[in-house]
Amino acid sequence: MTNSEGGRDDDEALKARLERLSRALEERQQREPVRGDIVDVSASSTGRALSLGIRVLSEFVAGIIVGGGIGLLLDRWLSTGPAFLIVFLALGTAAGFWNVYRIAAAPTGGPRDGAQ
Amino acid sequence: MAASAGNTIDPIHQFQVNKIIPLQMFGHDVSFTNASLFMGIVVLAILGLMVYGTRARAMVPGRLQAAAEMSYEFVASTVRGTAGHDGMRFFPFVFSLFMFVLFSNLIGLVPYTFTVTSQIVVTFAFAALVILTVLGYGFYKHGLHFLKLFVPSGVSPALLWFVMLIEIISFLSRPISLSVRLFANMLAGHITLKVFGGFVAMLLGAGAWAALAPLPLLGVVALTALELLVAVLQAYVFAILTCVYLNDAIHPGH
Repeated sequence: MTNSEGGRDDDEALKARLERLSRALEERQQREPVRGDIVDVSASSTGRALSLGIRVLSEFVAGIIVGGGIGLLLDRWLSTGPAFLIVFLALGTAAGFWNVYRIAAAPTGGPRDGAQ
Repeated sequence: MAASAGNTIDPIHQFQVNKIIPLQMFGHDVSFTNASLFMGIVVLAILGLMVYGTRARAMVPGRLQAAAEMSYEFVASTVRGTAGHDGMRFFPFVFSLFMFVLFSNLIGLVPYTFTVTSQIVVTFAFAALVILTVLGYGFYKHGLHFLKLFVPSGVSPALLWFVMLIEIISFLSRPISLSVRLFANMLAGHITLKVFGGFVAMLLGAGAWAALAPLPLLGVVALTALELLVAVLQAYVFAILTCVYLNDAIHPGH
């Protein structure tokens, strides 16, 4: 910066420009779906398929495991035969399917509506 | 457990936690193990990349600075895209998780190293941290309205309790799937690599069969590439699912 006057002017001009730039950037980011940068890692379709497959599997299995675990614990706690185990195993399976459905309904990393 | 003695392979041996410096504190075992050593190495590597890489603050970034900036921008856009602008307050959390998981996955691929993320204790601790953060922030921000997460709108009252139970089980399954996925991926990948590597050694020691040894060697090369992909992918999946779950805490009801 040459002198204080010019420096201040430059600073203000720079600040205004930066503000304009960041506003334009923000607008762009909101307009464009954020799909582009997700491709960075899972660029290859193999990678995306791999991660999706593993996700579906683990979410499904986790639902069943949690359901079965809750049923087993309730049974042990209330000493009611396998009644709760059966009920919660079924519920857990349903939860597993629900997890999988949720993955399928909202693809990985898609921008969510109203998430601004 | 005996180390791979003679011709047998012991693919599990690499996951054993050994005490380097035995320590006892208040009756608990707090020994410095190889797991702690590699956690330290991972943190130091991240620190090195971030601090040393951004030291120059060059307009045209060098290689390290470009790597540091890329990782920042990648995670930032993931958080913004998944959890919205409000989600950016969790950016440090997600970024730390992502970098730690990524670096321990990648460092674990180097032979003779220890993979921190192949221990379910570690991954489950992370998953529990994520879920507790979601719960804590959800209740802090929305109070009891946060429970609406479990009550979907537009369900007939007769089915409501059933759907709620399923929603609750589904929520509880999240830390399980989050931790088991990462742990199982790393465990399975490393065991496969070890077994294929063992095949090479066994074939080489089996007389004429040694002619077949290059086959599993090619397999190891291909698997290493696949494991590299899996290592990055799992770190990414961990980060993005953290964002998805945090999004539930920030905007329940969506």
